[in-house]
Amino acid sequence: MLELVDLSKRFGDVVALDGAGFVVERGRILGFLGPNGAGKTTAMRAVFGLIQPDTGSVFWNGATVGPEDRLHFGYMPEERGLYPKMKVHDQLVHFSRLSGLSKTEANEAVDHWLGVLGLSDRGDAKLDDLSHGNQQRAQLAAALAPNPELLILDEPFAGLDPIGVDSLAETLRDLASGGVAILFSSHQLDLVEDVCQDVAIINDGRIVLSGRLDDIKNDSTKRRLTIDVDGEPWTPDMVGVEVVDGPGPYHCIVDDDAPVVDLLEAASAAGVVNRFLFEPPRLTDLFREAVGS
Amino acid sequence: MSPWTQIALLAKREFLQRVTSKPFIITMSLLTVAILAVGPVVSLLADGVDEATTIGLTGGEPPGIEQELHAQAVLFGMEIEVDRFPTRVEAEAALADGQIAVVLVDGTEAVYHTEESSRLTALVHGAVDTTLKTAALTDAGLSEGEIALIVEPVSMGITTLEEEDTQDKAKSGAAFAGAMLLYVSIIMFGQFVAMGTVEEKQNRVVEVVLSRVRPWQVLVGKVGGIGLLGLLQLVVLAGAATTSAQLADLSDIDVAAIGLPIIASLILWFILGYTFYAFLYAAVGSTVSRQEELQGAIMIPIILILPGYLAAILAAESPEALLPTVASWLPPWAPFVMPVRVAAGVPQPWEILVAVVGTTLGAIALVWIGSRVYSGALLRTGGKVKLREAWKAADE
Repeated sequence: MLELVDLSKRFGDVVALDGAGFVVERGRILGFLGPNGAGKTTAMRAVFGLIQPDTGSVFWNGATVGPEDRLHFGYMPEERGLYPKMKVHDQLVHFSRLSGLSKTEANEAVDHWLGVLGLSDRGDAKLDDLSHGNQQRAQLAAALAPNPELLILDEPFAGLDPIGVDSLAETLRDLASGGVAILFSSHQLDLVEDVCQDVAIINDGRIVLSGRLDDIKNDSTKRRLTIDVDGEPWTPDMVGVEVVDGPGPYHCIVDDDAPVVDLLEAASAAGVVNRFLFEPPRLTDLFREAVGS
Repeated sequence: MSPWTQIALLAKREFLQRVTSKPFIITMSLLTVAILAVGPVVSLLADGVDEATTIGLTGGEPPGIEQELHAQAVLFGMEIEVDRFPTRVEAEAALADGQIAVVLVDGTEAVYHTEESSRLTALVHGAVDTTLKTAALTDAGLSEGEIALIVEPVSMGITTLEEEDTQDKAKSGAAFAGAMLLYVSIIMFGQFVAMGTVEEKQNRVVEVVLSRVRPWQVLVGKVGGIGLLGLLQLVVLAGAATTSAQLADLSDIDVAAIGLPIIASLILWFILGYTFYAFLYAAVGSTVSRQEELQGAIMIPIILILPGYLAAILAAESPEALLPTVASWLPPWAPFVMPVRVAAGVPQPWEILVAVVGTTLGAIALVWIGSRVYSGALLRTGGKVKLREAWKAADE
C-alpha cells in the first residue's frame, strides 16, 4: 500500500502541495484528479524522490519509501520521453535492468509486454521510427516491463485513440487484479469513473476528496436528477437544485433535503413528465463540487 | 541492487550507443588508417632525399671540371652525378623537371630553378675556381706538385661540442603531439557529455531514468561510459601513431621506448583531466534544455581549457619558462603541460606530485560541484537555468 502523508512543497512563492495525503491500495486503481497546476505531478514526483517535499512522507507497505522500493515501482511521467535513436527492445531491457531485473528476466518481460501492447514486430525499430501511438505504447511498456508492484501513470490516456483507451483500460484492470497498486491522473472523468475503484481529488495542493468511489457517491449529500418534461417552457428553479445541463432534458444536482416533491409538482404543472430520475452523483459532479467550480 | 551496478548499466549504454554508431566507427577508422599511413609515406618521401644530387653542365666548360666537381663533393660529404646538356634551354628544362639541382653554364654561371642552395653554389664555385687556377698555374709553368700545393683545398675538421640527441628530441615532439591529442580528446568527449545531458533533457527521458536512479548515478554513468570511449580512442590513436613511427624506419630512434611511456602518461592525464572537465561540461550542459543553447553554455570549460593549450605550446619551446612551469602545477592545465615538461626531463619529482595530487583534488571538487548543479538543473526544462539557481535547487 502506498501512503502519501501530509506532503507540502513550495517552489518559491508557489505552493505546489499543501498537506496532501491519500492512499493507493494494492489490487485497486486510483484516479488522481485535479485541475491543471493543482499539484498532481508534484505529488507523483515526490513518490519517486524526484522532488523532496518540505514536509510529509511517502510510505510503501508501512515504511518510508527508499531507492530499493522504487525499483519495484513503474512510472510514466507526464513529459513523455525515451531515447529516440535507440532500438525499442534494447531500451526497454535497459530500463528493466536499471529496475533490478536480470538480463534474462528483462528480456522475457520486455518480450511479454511488447506482445501485450501489440509492438512485438517493432522491437528492433528505433523509437524515432514509430508512430506517435506506438511511441506512447513503448513508453507504457517501459513502465510495465519491470513488473512493478506500484504503477504510477501521469495522463496515460492522453493522445490514445478509442481502441487504445479500451486496451489500456483492460491492461490496467488485469494488472490490478494481479495485485498491482495503480495510480493514474487524468482529465477524462468518465473514463476514470469507468476504470477506477478509488479517487483522490487535489486542488491548490490539498486533497479535497479521496476514498472509494462507491462510498464517496453513497456518502454524498447530492444526487443527480434528470427531469424530462413535455409541455410548457419550464425551469427547475428552486433552492437546493443546481441545473448543470438542459433544457431538454434537465440534469440537476440536488441536495438531500431539496423539496423534490415541490419540484415534481412544478414539473407536472408544466406538462407531461416523461422522466424524473434520481441517480447517485457522477464523478464529474463530485469533482465540480470538490474543486468549487 | 547496488548503486554501482546501476552506474555500470548506465555507463554501458553510453559506451555501446556511441561505439556502435556509424559516425564514430567511420571517424575512428579513417583517423587510424591516416595515422598509420603517415610513417610509411614520410619514410618513402625521405628515401628520395638521400639520392645523389645531379649537377648539369652546358656550354663551354673548364677542363677537368667534372673530376673537380666529384673531388669537391667528397669534401662536402655529398654524393653527386654530372649530366651534360647540348643547350642551355634543354638544361633549364631539366632544372624545371627536377632532374638536376643546378646547372653550370659556360663554367661561369650557376643557374637554379627557384631557390639557390648555398651549399651547392659553394661546391660548384670551388670546383670552377680550382680548375681555372690549375689551368692558369699550368700555363705559368708550375709543376703539378707546386700547383697541388697552391690549389689543393684545405680539409677542415668540424666538431660539435654536443651531439644532438635525436631520441630526446623525438621524445619531446611525441609528448607535445600527445598533449595536443589529449587537448582535443578532452574537449571532444567533454562536449559529448554536455550534448548527452542536453539530449536527455530535450527528449524528456531524464525523468524516466531518474525514477529509477539518483542524479549523481546518471552523471557518473554518463561520464564513465563516455570516458571509456575517449580512453579507447586515445589508446588506439596513440598506438597507431607509435606503430606508424615504427613503420617509418627511424633507425636512430627507439620508438617503443618513447611511445609506451607516453601512452601510459596519456592514460593517466586523460583520466584526471577528463574527469575534471567532464563534470564541468555536464554541469553547464544540464543548465540548458536545447542543443542550440549549448554552444553558449560550454564557453565556460572552453575558456578554462584554452590557457592549457597555449601553455603546452610554450612548454614545448621553453619547458623551464615561468608560465608553463606554473601552469604545469595547476589542476586545469597540468594535464596538458606537465607531460610535455616531463618529456623534456625538466620538472622535479615534487612538481609532478603536486600536479597529480592537485588535479586529482580538483577533479574530486568538480565531481561534487558538477553533480550538485546537475541534480538541481536536470528536471528544470523550458529555458536556461542559472548556475546559482541550479545549485540551490539541488536541495529541493
